[in-house]
Amino acid sequence: EEVQKKVHFAFNFDSYMHGKATSVNQALDKAILLKEPLKIHESMRYSLLAGGKRVRPILCIAACELVGGDEASAMPAACAAEMIHTMSLIHDDLPCMDNDDLRRGKPTNHKVYGESVAVLAGDALLALAFEHIANATVGVSPLKIVRVVSELAKSIGSEGLVAGQVVDIGSTGATDVKLDQLEYIHIHKTAVLLESSVVMGAIVGGGSNKEVEKLRKFARCIGLLFQVVDDILDVTKSSEELGKTAGKDLMSDKTTYPKLIGLEKSKAFADKLNKEAKEQLSDFDPVKAAPLVALANYIAYRQN
Amino acid sequence: STPMQSQFDLKTYWTTLITEINHKLDQSIPIKYPQQIYESMRYSVLAHGAKRASPIMCIAVCELFGVSRLAAFPTACALEMVHEASLIHDDLPDMDDDLFRRGRLSNHAIYGVDMAILAGDALFPLGFQHIVSDTPSSLVPESSILRVIGEIARAVGSTGMVAGQFLDLTNAEDSQTEYVQEKKFGELAECSAVCGGLLGGATDEELERLRKYGRAVGVLYQVVEEILEIKREKTEEEGGENKKKKGKKSYAKVVGIEKALEQAEELRSRAKKELDGFEKKYGERVNPLYSFVDYAVERNFLIGSD
Repeated sequence: EEVQKKVHFAFNFDSYMHGKATSVNQALDKAILLKEPLKIHESMRYSLLAGGKRVRPILCIAACELVGGDEASAMPAACAAEMIHTMSLIHDDLPCMDNDDLRRGKPTNHKVYGESVAVLAGDALLALAFEHIANATVGVSPLKIVRVVSELAKSIGSEGLVAGQVVDIGSTGATDVKLDQLEYIHIHKTAVLLESSVVMGAIVGGGSNKEVEKLRKFARCIGLLFQVVDDILDVTKSSEELGKTAGKDLMSDKTTYPKLIGLEKSKAFADKLNKEAKEQLSDFDPVKAAPLVALANYIAYRQN
Repeated sequence: STPMQSQFDLKTYWTTLITEINHKLDQSIPIKYPQQIYESMRYSVLAHGAKRASPIMCIAVCELFGVSRLAAFPTACALEMVHEASLIHDDLPDMDDDLFRRGRLSNHAIYGVDMAILAGDALFPLGFQHIVSDTPSSLVPESSILRVIGEIARAVGSTGMVAGQFLDLTNAEDSQTEYVQEKKFGELAECSAVCGGLLGGATDEELERLRKYGRAVGVLYQVVEEILEIKREKTEEEGGENKKKKGKKSYAKVVGIEKALEQAEELRSRAKKELDGFEKKYGERVNPLYSFVDYAVERNFLIGSD
């Protein structure tokens, strides 16, 4: 145990995140060149390169490296996860959906480029994610890449992101949203893509089925954790700190964990998920698992 | 055309395949929770009267190489799913603002704009998912499946159909109308032919020919469609019928009917020229591909209800 503590102490999370985010940003920048029609590609780049934290790509790379793979083989899947995340934000922000004007502290895509371009840029990012995995993944067997495609496809369609958004839309304004419904929304809107990011990394890294499933469970926990923390932050932080409209969930009568079970219990639930996530990593080499442990902590204790 | 070609019964081939494709599409989108989204997806994908031109092109090309159509069905269905996804988005109020599609209400008119966007978003990945999970691995190697995925993603993406729709929306200059046609109507036909070739194990040289063939057939079909549209509008005018609405801008309208007819003939012979050599190698299995070209011009029977 003493050794483990030392390892965690020695792991520099900030420089790890900075280094990984830099290589992800470079790869994303190269994945979408400015070409005709310019406005579509500008719009795609505007949202994709808006400087998010790159949590999904980094999870993908970290999982790949944990099971013995290298960053390069995970990078196309990592970029694809970010493209999908971005496209779902672009479409969710549209006036006919959540009607958000601000995202990551900047005007949303449709505010800058108009609604039709925003819809098309989202569609194009979705397609590019698959094209990128299929064409740019090197040094990985086609059988594994096919599994990666399947993993991503499942997590974003009507069994994943879209399902979450549909149920979310259906329950907005409803006064009787139950805990299991809230959980369904969060699992589908947030957790499944985090899960597929981790699982894609584990697959391209050559993880055994057992390792892939452990990491899948890890990702499920931190996926839900991510959203519980988001709900908590929405109550406790200002708009400026968050870079988006705070308290919006409460104002728009949106159901959140703090509203359903109270702030204290929400915090306790977050702790429980964080602990459960880390338990999944206990069989791995602690040095190699350090980035994922730190990512779980980051998600649990982040301030925006 | 040669006697052998004229013996080929395209209508039976096509309608038989439509029945099979419709059945497979029906199975591939079972209704689950949350029901709404599946209903919206099914409404568009299972629309009565759809021609299934992309799936049929894909299957016919796969069969050209003597590979069972079982290898092509999942990709064929996926082509239809991504096609419908882009039509759903094209019809949206911010886009072409079409309330009708195939003679009935468009997806957003029934399910709302939000559901229509999400149904499209769900159909794209469902198509990819369908290909990777349902293509028999005994018939198609994984490396070919990946090339199919890459091909479809490119065709629907930012330099393909998205580009076509964008240029169409921004009222592209008249000089660009031909380019818009290529992107909106040539791209998917090209992709369908190439996917069929990939599944059938075509050589790279054959794939290039299929690419040009598919694109020419897709554009040809549209140019003829536009010529027929102009003729319909003229007949209605002469018959003194009330003109409900002025049809959309089209390539044929921009260049005039004479030039459009010339273009159609040129596309017809270009498409057939790409098939040179296939007959020698693959015999009468090439007949469906010739008959698609002639059908695009002649429309000697009715398929679907567009």
